[in-house]
Amino acid sequence: MRCPRLILTAVALLSAVAHLGATDTPGKPKRIVSLNMCVDELVLRLAEPENIASVTWLSRDPKNSNVADLGAGVPVNHGLAEEIIPLNPDLVIAGIYTARTAVAMLKRVGIPVLEVGIPKSLDDVRRQFREIAGLIGERERGESVVADMDRRLAALPRPPSSDRPRAIVLNPNGATVGEGTLVDEIMTRAGLTNVAAELGIDSYGQIPLEAVVATAIDVLIVSASRDGPPALATEILRHPVLSALSDRTRVVVMPGRLWNCGGPAVVEAIERLMQVAREVRAEAPAK
Amino acid sequence: MMHASTVEALQHARVPPYGLLVASLAILVVILMGASLAIGYAPLDLVQAFRDVLKGEKTLAALVLTELRLPRALLGCFVGLSLGISGAAMQGLMRNPLAEPGIIGVSGAAAFGAVTVFYFGLAGALSFALPLGGIAGAAAATFLLYGLSGRGAGTMTLILAGVAINSFAGALTSLALNLSPNPYAVTEIVFWLLGSLADRSLPYVWLVLPLMIIGWGLLLVSGPALDGLTLGEETAKSLGFDLGRLRLQLIAGTALAVGSAVAVTGTIAFVGLVVPHLLRPLVAHRPGRLLLVSGLGGAALTLAADIGVRLLPIRPELKLGVVTAIIGAPFLFGLIYRLREEEA
Amino acid sequence: MEIEAQGIAIRFGPVALLEGVDLAMRGGEMVGLIGPNGSGKTTLLRVLANLRAPEAGRVHYAGRTAAEIGTRELSRQIAYLAQGGAVHWPMRVETLVALGRLPHRRPFQGHDAADRHAIERAMTAADVAYLRTRTMGQVSGGERMRVLLARALAVDAPVLLADEPIAALDPLHQLQVMELLRTIASEGRGVIVVLHDLALATRFCDRLILLARGGILVEGAPARVLTDAHVAQAYGVEVVRGEREGVPFLLPWKPSTTSEGEVP
Repeated sequence: MRCPRLILTAVALLSAVAHLGATDTPGKPKRIVSLNMCVDELVLRLAEPENIASVTWLSRDPKNSNVADLGAGVPVNHGLAEEIIPLNPDLVIAGIYTARTAVAMLKRVGIPVLEVGIPKSLDDVRRQFREIAGLIGERERGESVVADMDRRLAALPRPPSSDRPRAIVLNPNGATVGEGTLVDEIMTRAGLTNVAAELGIDSYGQIPLEAVVATAIDVLIVSASRDGPPALATEILRHPVLSALSDRTRVVVMPGRLWNCGGPAVVEAIERLMQVAREVRAEAPAK
Repeated sequence: MMHASTVEALQHARVPPYGLLVASLAILVVILMGASLAIGYAPLDLVQAFRDVLKGEKTLAALVLTELRLPRALLGCFVGLSLGISGAAMQGLMRNPLAEPGIIGVSGAAAFGAVTVFYFGLAGALSFALPLGGIAGAAAATFLLYGLSGRGAGTMTLILAGVAINSFAGALTSLALNLSPNPYAVTEIVFWLLGSLADRSLPYVWLVLPLMIIGWGLLLVSGPALDGLTLGEETAKSLGFDLGRLRLQLIAGTALAVGSAVAVTGTIAFVGLVVPHLLRPLVAHRPGRLLLVSGLGGAALTLAADIGVRLLPIRPELKLGVVTAIIGAPFLFGLIYRLREEEA
Repeated sequence: MEIEAQGIAIRFGPVALLEGVDLAMRGGEMVGLIGPNGSGKTTLLRVLANLRAPEAGRVHYAGRTAAEIGTRELSRQIAYLAQGGAVHWPMRVETLVALGRLPHRRPFQGHDAADRHAIERAMTAADVAYLRTRTMGQVSGGERMRVLLARALAVDAPVLLADEPIAALDPLHQLQVMELLRTIASEGRGVIVVLHDLALATRFCDRLILLARGGILVEGAPARVLTDAHVAQAYGVEVVRGEREGVPFLLPWKPSTTSEGEVP
C-alpha cells in the first residue's frame, strides 16, 4: 500500500510547517490528538502524558486496548471534529480509513493531520514507531520500544521449517487474513502455515464457511469477539460446524488487541501461537 | 353476449386435477432441494458425502453437507412454504390480491421482534425466545392491520396500513440495532430487511420447525372458511363458518409461520405475493386449495432464488430479498396496473 | 322446516329499528318481506338467518333455537342469499355453485356423488348449466344473480332466505328469478324474500309481511296487505290496480296526498 510513502510525505509537510513556526523545542508538539485506536497505542507509549490532548474512547477498554492503564487519565474523543477543534491541537494523527469527515474538516481549518496506515509487517511496525517518535520529539523512547520488542522476539525459539501446522484466521462476518499482512507474518513467525494464502486470499478477504471446513486445517484462530454480545457477524464464529471440527482441528481464540494494531503486544500473539503450534506438533503422531 | 370462439376457448381452459398439481409441485421442491445441496462454495463430492453420512462417518464432506448445506436447503423449503401459505391466507382473509406478509408489514414487525430478542441476549440466541420474538412482532402487526383496515379491506387502506407498519417497524429495528452492544449490529439491518439463508445452522431449523408446523396446520384448516369468504362475510357465516374463530386462526397461523421464519432468515419479500397470484388460476381461484399449492410454490421459488444467489458471481453473496424483489416488484407494478384498470 | 319468531326487537344503541315483531313461515310457502327503505327488512332477515342476534325475542327453527341446533346443522337447514352478491375471486360458475356444498363437507373432503348431484340440480333449476366454465366477470347481470341463486340452491336446504335477489335485474330476469323462487316454494321449501317491487310481490308471494314504522304493519295474503290505506301508510304512494289472466296486479302511481306524514 501507499502507507510508507504517505508517512514520508506527511513528515516532509510537517517539517515544513514546523520550520515556519520555529520555537525553543522545534517540532515537539504539545497538544497531540489521536483519532484511531491503533494510533492511541503509538501515542500513549511514546508521548509524555502532558503532551497528549486526547485519545479515542476505545483505548480505555482493557478488552480492546493494550494501553488501557496508560490511557486512564487522558481525555477521550469519539472521532468528531467538534471535539477536536476546541482542543487546539498542534498534531492530529488519524488512520487512513477512519474518521474521514473529521479529518477533512480538521485539514480545512489548517490543523496539521498525519494519516497513518495499518502496518503490513513487523518491519512496518518498527518503522511506524520510529517515525511517530521522531515527529513527536521522543526519538529515544521510540528506539527503546522497538529495541524491547526486538529483544523479546529474539528470545523466542525459532520454529521448525517443516512440520508447520496449517492454520486460518476467522474474523466476524467470515473475514480472514491472507498474505502480505502483519497477521500473516505473526503466524509464520509462530511456525504456522497460513492456509488463506492457499485459497487465494490476498491481504484481507472473506472466506465462506464451507471452504473453512473443506480445507483440512490443524488450527482455527477465531476472533475473541465470538464470546461477546451477539450479532450475526459473530454468530458465524459459533456455527456448530466449527465445533464439529474440534476433533481434528484445534480452535484458538485470539483477542484482536494483540495483533489488529502494530505494537509490542504482537509478541504475545506470537508466543500464544507458538504454544499452540507446539501442542499440535506433539499430538501429530497420535493422529 | 360472448363470441362463440371465446366460449369455446374458455371451455377448453383446463384446471389440472388438484392431486396432480400438489404432487408436481412437491416433486419440484424436492428437485430444487437436491440442487441446493449440490451448490455451494467449496467443491463437494455430493454422492460421497451422502455415503459418508449414511455410514455415519464424520468426514469433512459429510460435515459440509449436513451442517452447512442441509440447513440451508431445509430453511429455503420451510421458509418459502411459510411465506407462500401465509400470502395465500392473507389474501383469502382480506379478499385482496395485494395482501402479503412483506407488503402489509407482518414480516417487518416480525424482524423487529426477533432483533430485540437476538441482539440484547434475551435468554440466549439459540432458544425459543428468538422465534417467539418474531412471532410476537408478527402477531402485533396482524392485529393492528385487522383493526386498521377491517374486513374485506379496500386496497388503499391495506397498503397504507402496510406502509405505516413497515416504516415504524423498520425505524424501531434500526434503533434497536444502533443500541445493541455489539458494534457489528448496525450494519446488519441489511440482513433483516432483505433476508438471507447463508450460514444458518441446523439448530435454527429444529427451533422453528415445530412452530412453523403448527402455523401451517392452523392455516390449512382455514381452507373451507376462506372458500366461503369468497361470497362475503354474511354468506360465509350462513355457510356455517365462525368468522371470529377464523380470524384468530389466520392471525395465529400467519404469526407462527412468518414470525419464526423471519426470526431466522430476515424478511424475504414478495414470495407471498407472486406465488399465490401465479398459482391461483391453477386451483380455479379457490382460496382454500390455494393454501397448500402456494406453500409448495413458495418453497420452490425461495429455493430457486437461493440457488441463483449462490450461482451469481457477485461477492459478498447477494441477499435473497434482492432476487425476490427484482422478480416481485415489477410483478407488483403489473398487478397494481391491472387492478387500477378494473377500478376505473 | 318452520321458522317462528316471537317478540323480536332490533336496536342500534338507543335507536329501535323494530319492536315486538312476531312472524312465522312454513314449508311450501313463499313469503315476501316488504316495506320502505330503512324499515328493517334486511336486518330482520339476517336475524331469521341467525346472522345477527336480536336485542330481544327469540327465533325457533322447527321448535328448537339456533343454539340447540348448532351453527353447522343450521347452515344445512337455511340457505341465505345476501344482498348485492359480491364475489371476490373470479371463479368459474361451477366452482362458485359448488361452494353451496360447504356446509355438507368436512375439511379436506372432496365432493361425493350426492354433492355433484346437488350442484347439477341447482344449476339446472337456475338455468345456468350452460355457463359452467365461464367466470363471474364474463356473465351478465341476470345470469350472475341466477348463479348466486344456484349456489344457494346447491345447499339443498329446506329454507331459502333471499335478500333483494332481483334488484338491478332487467324485467325478463326479474320474472325468471321470481318464477324460480315460486317453483322452489312449491316443491315444499320455505322461502322468504325481501322485495321492493310491489307488483312482483303481489303476483308471486303467498303471504306478505309489511314492515313500517318500527314493526309489522300488517301481514297476510297480498290482497289483505296491499290495500290503498296500507300502501299509503307504509310507502306514501297511491297505486293503480288492474287484472290480467285472472291475476290482480298493482302499480305505484304517484306520491300520496294524504295528510299522514311526509313522502318517505
